[in-house]
Amino acid sequence: MARAVLILFAASLAAQTYVGSETCGTCHEGIYQAWAKTPHRDVKQACKSCHGTGSRHAESTSAADILNPAKLPPAESDRDCLSCHLNRPTHVGRIQSSHAHNQVACITCHTIHATAVRGPNALNRQCTTCHMDVRAEFQRPYHHRLPEGAVSCVDCHNPHGSFRPGMMRQVAANDVTCFKCHGDKRGPFTFEHAPVRFEGCASCHEPHGSANPRMLTRHEVRLVCLECHANLPATAAPGVVLPSFHDLRSPRYQNCTVCHQKVHGSHVDRNFLR
Amino acid sequence: MRIFLAIFLAIPLAAQTEWLTGSLDAGYRRRTGIGGSANTYRSVVDLGTGLRLLGADFTLSDPKKRSFDRLDLQAAGWGGDPWRTLHVNARKSRLYDFTGDYRNIAYFNNLPSFADPLLSRGIVLDEQAFNVHRRLGSFELALLPGHWIVPYLAFDSDADSGAGSTTFAGEGNEFPLPVTIRDSTRNYRGGTRIELRHFHATLEQGGTTYKDDQSIYSNSGIPNYGNNSKPLPGRTLYLDSLLAGWGIRGSSIYSRGLFTASAASWLDLYGQFLYSIPENMVSHQQAATGSLANPTRLIFFTGQQYLLSAESKLPHSSGSIGAEVRPFRRLRILESWLTDRLYSGALSFAQQRLTPASLPQPGSTSTSSLLVTNRNQEETLVFLELTSKLTLHGGYRYVWGDASNSVLPASGLMPTDTGKLRRNGGLGGISFRPTHKLTIGGDAEGASSGSAYFRTSLYDYQRVRGRARYQISGSLNLSANFSLLNNANPSAGSNFEYLAHQESISLAWIPAHRFWNVEGTYTRSTLRSDISYLQPQDLQPAISSYRDNAHTASALIDLRLPSYSGLIPKFSFGGSLFVSSGSRPTTYYQPLAKLFVPLGKNLAWISDWSYYGFGESLYLYEGFHASLVTTGLRFVR
Repeated sequence: MARAVLILFAASLAAQTYVGSETCGTCHEGIYQAWAKTPHRDVKQACKSCHGTGSRHAESTSAADILNPAKLPPAESDRDCLSCHLNRPTHVGRIQSSHAHNQVACITCHTIHATAVRGPNALNRQCTTCHMDVRAEFQRPYHHRLPEGAVSCVDCHNPHGSFRPGMMRQVAANDVTCFKCHGDKRGPFTFEHAPVRFEGCASCHEPHGSANPRMLTRHEVRLVCLECHANLPATAAPGVVLPSFHDLRSPRYQNCTVCHQKVHGSHVDRNFLR
Repeated sequence: MRIFLAIFLAIPLAAQTEWLTGSLDAGYRRRTGIGGSANTYRSVVDLGTGLRLLGADFTLSDPKKRSFDRLDLQAAGWGGDPWRTLHVNARKSRLYDFTGDYRNIAYFNNLPSFADPLLSRGIVLDEQAFNVHRRLGSFELALLPGHWIVPYLAFDSDADSGAGSTTFAGEGNEFPLPVTIRDSTRNYRGGTRIELRHFHATLEQGGTTYKDDQSIYSNSGIPNYGNNSKPLPGRTLYLDSLLAGWGIRGSSIYSRGLFTASAASWLDLYGQFLYSIPENMVSHQQAATGSLANPTRLIFFTGQQYLLSAESKLPHSSGSIGAEVRPFRRLRILESWLTDRLYSGALSFAQQRLTPASLPQPGSTSTSSLLVTNRNQEETLVFLELTSKLTLHGGYRYVWGDASNSVLPASGLMPTDTGKLRRNGGLGGISFRPTHKLTIGGDAEGASSGSAYFRTSLYDYQRVRGRARYQISGSLNLSANFSLLNNANPSAGSNFEYLAHQESISLAWIPAHRFWNVEGTYTRSTLRSDISYLQPQDLQPAISSYRDNAHTASALIDLRLPSYSGLIPKFSFGGSLFVSSGSRPTTYYQPLAKLFVPLGKNLAWISDWSYYGFGESLYLYEGFHASLVTTGLRFVR
C-alpha cells in the first residue's frame, strides 16, 4: 500500500514540471512583457517561484491548475514574497505594523507583473485607495503638500512596518521623521518643551491636514496651550503651572505664541520668549 | 526648465532603439486676480503665473549598459511653482544603485486671525508670519546591490531660509519686528547591509551638523509702540532699535544596527538598536534701545544688552526586538518589545546690562535644565486562521514609562515636573474574505491607564476601525471605511473627553468599451473635544470645547471624446470640496477641468482650469477665490 502511494506521488510530481517563463508568455503576453521590465526578470524560474510549476496549466489552460496568490489568504501569499524578501532592512518592524496586523498582503500594494508606481502622486493615490479618511484630511486647507506632489506618504511612514506608532519612519537613527524636514525643531534645546519629547508633534498638530492654521488641534492657539497649562494645582499633571495672571480677555494674550515664540523649545529663554 | 526641454528635444526622434521613453509637460499658467485676501491665498494655495515645467517623467535605458543600465528621472513644478521636485534614480545591475531627491518647498503663512493682537485697532498684521523656502536634498549610493554585502553612503540636507515676522517680547510689551531665518541640517551616513538568505544585518554610522543663524534687526528711526497701549505708571513703552542674533552650532554622532533572521522554519526574529547624541552650542546676543521697563521690578531703562551662552546634549537610545512564532500552519504568535530612552541636559550662562548704568543691574544668571523620559512597550498578538477565508487576531499591550522635566533655579515655578505612563490594553481584529472580490476587516483596541503624562494623552480609550472592499464587477469597485477614537481622562480638574469618528465611501467605475469612467470619494468626519481649565485672570472654572463636523468629497469623471486619425482626446472634470461646521467653520472648494488633445503620436495639447474658493464664517476677511488656467504641450516618447 505504501509503495502504491509513493508511486502515485512520484507520478504526480512527474506530471508537473517547470515549463519556463517564456512558455507562460505565449499566452500571457501582456503580463510577460510588463514583467520583463521589472527587477523580477532576473529571478530564476520567476513565474514558478510564485505560481508553482505550470506544465499542467499549460496543457489544460485551466485556472484551477495553477496557483494564484491573489486568491490565497494574505499570510500564505506573503510567504511567497517573504521567501526571498524577508531578510531586508525594510522588514525590520514588519510584525508590529498595522498592515501586518490587518492582513494587508504584499500584493495589495505591489503589482508584481508591472513596474512600480512612479512619482509621489501615483504613490499617494495608491495609499489613499484604502486610507480614504486620510485623503479627506489632506483636502483641508492647511496641509502638508501631499496632494500637490511635493510630499508623499512614504516620506513619513514606512508601509512595511516600523517600531514607531503609526508606522512612522525614523531619521538620524532614532529621531521622529518630522525632523527630517523640520530640522530646526530637533534640538537639543537649552530649555525643552516637554510634550515635544514626551509625546511628539501630534500633541499639538494634526500632521495630515487641518482647518486650523499651523495644523493645530484647536482653532485658537491659547486653547491648545490651555489643554495642559490649565492653572490647576501643580500635582494634577506635568505642565500644569501656577497661575500666570494673563487676562485672556485681552487681545495681547489670546495667542500665547506671540510672546512664547519658541514653543518647540528655546535655546535662550526658559519661558520660550526668544 | 529650459534645460529639461532642450535635452528632451535634442534627442533624435528616429532612434533605432527606444532607449529614451517618457513624457514631458511644459506650459504656461495664468492666475486671475485674487478676490479677497491675497495673503490667505498664498498661505493656502500660492500658485502663480508664468512658464512652468509641469511634469517630466522619463527613463533612459542604455542598450550597451555602459555607465548605467537605467536612469529614471521625475521632475515637477520648475519655473516658479512653490514646490519644485526632482528625483533621479540610476542603477547598473550588481554594481551600484543611486537615488537622488531634491525638493524646494515654499512656506508662506500670513494669517492675521492667527496672531494679530492689534486687529481691534485696525492694524492687520500676523506677528508670526513666514515667507521661507525649505530646500531638501537626499542622496544615497548603494554599491554592489544584489550581492550578499552591500556598502552604502548617503547624504541628506535640510535648509530653511527666508524672512518673517516675530515679536521681541518681555520688558512689559511685545514689539512686532521682521526676522531673518536661516538654518540648515546636514546628515552624513554610511553603512553596510549584509543580506543572506536567512539573515540580514544593517550596520550604519552617521553624523549630523546643524546651524541656526536667525536674526532680528530693526533701526527704522520710528518708535515701535508694540502691542501694549497702556502706559506703565505714566510711561509709554516703545522700542527704538533692536539687534538680536542667534548663533547655534550643533553636531551629532549616531549608530544604527538592524537585523532580521529566519532562525527556523517556524521562527522569524527582528530587532534594532539605535543610539544618537546630538549636542548644540548656543551664542545669543541682543541689544535694544527705547523706553523699556521691567514691570516686576518696576525699573525703567533706555537700553539693554543681553548675552547668553549655552550648551545642551541629548543622548538618546532606542531598541526593539520581535519574534514571529508559527507552531502550527494556521497559528502565528507575534511578540515584540521596545524601549526608548532620552535624556536632555543643558547649562546656560547669561549676562544682562541696563542703561543708564546707575540702575540696579540684573547681573548674571546660570541655569541648568534636565529632561528625562523613557517609554517601553510589550505586545503579544495571536493570529488564528480559522478557515482559509477567516482570520482572527487578539492580543495584549502594556505601555509604561517615566518622565521628568526640571529647570533650576525654579524662579517661582515648579522645580521639577514628573509624570508616569502606565497603560494596559487589549487588541483584537477580524479579516474575512468570503471571495477574492470581497474583503471585510476590522480591528479594535481598548486600554485603561493608571497614569499618563498629560491631560490630553491617551488614557481610557477605545479605537475601532472597519473596512470593506467589494469588486462588484470587473470595472466597478466599492470601498468603505470607518474609524472611531474615544478617549477620556476623568481625573480631577481635567474631565477630558475626546471623540472622533470618520466614515468614508469610494467608488471607481471604469467600464471597458465605454467613453466614460468615474471615480469618487466621500468622507464624513466628526470631532468633539472638551477639557476643563481655570481661567488665569480670575481662576474661575471654564470648559474648552472644540467641535469639527466636516464633509469632504472628491470626484473625477473622464470622458473619451470622438477620435480622429486614430487619436483619442479626453475631457475630465471634477474636483474636491471641504465643508466644515463647528469651532472654525470653513469651506474650501477646488473644482477643476482638464482637456487632453493629442496632436500626433508623440505630442498632445494639455490644458486645465482650476478654481480655489476659501471662506471662514468667523474670519470673513481671510476668504479668497482665484482661478488658474494652464495650457501647454505634452511630449511623449
